[in-house]
Amino acid sequence: MSSPAPATVRSRLSTQGRGLAGAAVERARLTVVPRRRTRAPKVPFVTLVSLLLLAGVVGLLLFNTSMQQASFTTTALQERATNLAAREQALEMELEELRNPQRLAAEAQRRFGMEPAGAPLFLSLESGEVTGERGEPAERLDLVPNQPTRPGVLDPAPIIETVIGDVPADQVTGQTGNRGDTARGSGSGRGDTGRTGPQQQQQSQGEQQDQQQQRSER
Amino acid sequence: MSRTRQQRLRPRTRGSADVRMRSGFVLIAIVLSFFGARLVQLQGLDPREYAAMAAADGSVTVTLPAERGDILDRNGEPLADSADGLMVVADPALTTPRAAELAKFLSTRLAVDYFRTLERLRVEDSRYQYIARQVPARIAATVLDEARSRASDAADKAVEAEKDGDDEALAEYEEIADAYSGLLTERDPVRVYPSGDVAANLVGFLGTPNPDGSAKPSAGFEAMFNSYLAGTDGETSYQVGAGNKIPLGDSTIVEATDGRDLVTTIDRDLQFFTQRIVRQTVRQSGGESGIGVVMDTRTGDILALADDPTYDLNKPDEASDGDYKSRAMTDVYEPGSVEKVLTVAGLIDAGKVTNRTKLLVPGQLDRQDRSIGDYFDHGLLKLTLAGVIAKSSNIGTVLAADKFEDGQLRDYLTRFGLGQRTNIGVGGETAGLLPDESMWTSQTQDRIAFGQSLSVNAVQMTAAVNAIANDGVRIDPSLIKGSATTDEGREVGTDVATTRRVVSDDAAYQTMMMMERVLDPEEGVAPGAAVPGYRVAGKTGTAQRVGEACGCYDGTFTVSFAGFAPADDPRFTVYVVVQDPTNGGGGGSVAGPAFSRIMSYALRRYAVPPTGTPASRLPVEWR
Repeated sequence: MSSPAPATVRSRLSTQGRGLAGAAVERARLTVVPRRRTRAPKVPFVTLVSLLLLAGVVGLLLFNTSMQQASFTTTALQERATNLAAREQALEMELEELRNPQRLAAEAQRRFGMEPAGAPLFLSLESGEVTGERGEPAERLDLVPNQPTRPGVLDPAPIIETVIGDVPADQVTGQTGNRGDTARGSGSGRGDTGRTGPQQQQQSQGEQQDQQQQRSER
Repeated sequence: MSRTRQQRLRPRTRGSADVRMRSGFVLIAIVLSFFGARLVQLQGLDPREYAAMAAADGSVTVTLPAERGDILDRNGEPLADSADGLMVVADPALTTPRAAELAKFLSTRLAVDYFRTLERLRVEDSRYQYIARQVPARIAATVLDEARSRASDAADKAVEAEKDGDDEALAEYEEIADAYSGLLTERDPVRVYPSGDVAANLVGFLGTPNPDGSAKPSAGFEAMFNSYLAGTDGETSYQVGAGNKIPLGDSTIVEATDGRDLVTTIDRDLQFFTQRIVRQTVRQSGGESGIGVVMDTRTGDILALADDPTYDLNKPDEASDGDYKSRAMTDVYEPGSVEKVLTVAGLIDAGKVTNRTKLLVPGQLDRQDRSIGDYFDHGLLKLTLAGVIAKSSNIGTVLAADKFEDGQLRDYLTRFGLGQRTNIGVGGETAGLLPDESMWTSQTQDRIAFGQSLSVNAVQMTAAVNAIANDGVRIDPSLIKGSATTDEGREVGTDVATTRRVVSDDAAYQTMMMMERVLDPEEGVAPGAAVPGYRVAGKTGTAQRVGEACGCYDGTFTVSFAGFAPADDPRFTVYVVVQDPTNGGGGGSVAGPAFSRIMSYALRRYAVPPTGTPASRLPVEWR
């Protein structure tokens, strides 16, 4: 920019006396318009930016605080939910306990004097016909639980002393008998299945098989 | 002027700039090398520890417990259920000075033993002692809340005492505050068995958990399907401030995978009823143990599998260990005459006989060097095959079985499923014993034909009889509805059950007609097993039993009854077995009535109407 300016001045000086044409030409020449300086007021802009910044910071702070607040609430609510879930579980367990078939059967029999039903009758809706045989109420269920097993320390095995006398073994160990539908007499004279006793356990293999075959069952 | 000065200064300044640059770079390089060294130290030498330290700073890691799956019956009733639980733990370093006071507090609220608690609160050189385990979450939380409030009360009083300058009171209150804050809780899930002893031998139980809190299955499905039921624990870690999770803080979460529910085919009410009847039968007959099986004829679902003696799942300590197993699956015995129906079904299928085949049954049958007898003394009888079954004649069965070709009987029994595990998902199942072909002699065949010299488990036998009920098609029995994978990696359940034809439709029908005669009041041996109004087909069994002590027949018996109803359109197959009844009863008199009650209950429960057809009148004798 500095170099064209002195040139213009020089040419102006040198063409001073050259007449109007030169002046016109001179006038028609374009020159650079000096830049216009705008003087916009700075205050509103600065205020706007500061406000934005402030709003941002305050907003962030508030947001953070509310998040923190929400986190407290979450913790409290979660704790409550856990407690309520535990309570629900406890109640459900109680309910299951009450629905236990063993308890229901005992209640029904003892408190209400109910009895297991006998065979039912069937009414056919199509034909109106009644089928089946009416049964008597069945025997009551025995609901007494088994006694807990005592640990071995409290329940030692009985001490058995075996005394060997001079009576023949055949006469000592008889038949168990009275097993009406299974007892097969010892007519064959071979190993008798009804017999019990140590000597029976040592019988020969052949005798055992006899026993299997001869011993009938149903 | 300026030029000359510049010229004068240039040599000196140029040199000094280089020096400055160099020394500057060296300085930067030294600083950077420190950074580099530190970087190598942090990242190269022990990165994990530093990362862990950074993560641990202000962050907590919480295990997200996976809930153990429930064990349910076929209708969704719980047989085993999980609930949140906590263990109460004490730090003896804090609790020792006030142990008596704390023990009183804990024993009244948690139902724990006072003296044992006192001892634990005073253990020396320990900072971790269990006070109570598997306490329902709600109770434990209440107790802990109260302990905390007592601790903070005491702390407040301590502050007051400090203000007043009362050193003695200060020390006392601080002690109390410490003692009550020395109680903690930790997760310790509770397994409850709401049905008590119902299906106990199948379900099994969880023992006291391992120290790390994981379950320790002790028997039954709990052990067999442990990994199926257990699921995988998850984990979450997040940063905390003042006991609250910091929002937007670092957090990671690995969700827990809950265990899956195990749905069984058991019908809880029917199971309960069956167990009570079996127990009653064992008691009345003075038996050693008993088994009851109810199977759905069409699907093979086992609706009830009762064992006696059994135990209460909530109090397993009260029973002896021997009662934990399922005898129906783990114990073998010789089935006796119930097996005869398999023999004759095979004979009819092979086209060797019909149910009207005429047999001459002598009072005693001499085979090779031994003789076979019947349970009742008789002379020469003219029995049909139906009569042989109705009167349970061993001799008649052996005579009929003579018509088998070599190996045929064994083939039939194998196809009926004897000698092979049922693999229904119960641990420790025995395969039973069907003698190998090389051991199969004509004497063996004679005995096997009427159910001795081979052994079975109760479910095997039920499935075999069920094949006759189901028109000759054997269905694999199932205990698991759908499918589930055992810890051994086997897929079991109704989804994988298969069927196979064992005998023809006609052979099954003819066998059924013969079995119906067993319950005939005049001709049969087990009128007590009849169910009023229904046609029932069944067979008794009174087998000699092999004693454990001698490994030989010891004079005791296994009595049983297997049958199905309604005979011409079967819905259920029921099998009752009693070991060693001491009242002298047999299959018809001991197991028969139990069969009748269980079958009657099942038919009523599932609203099965009688078919209304006339009962079998097959002739049992011929002239």
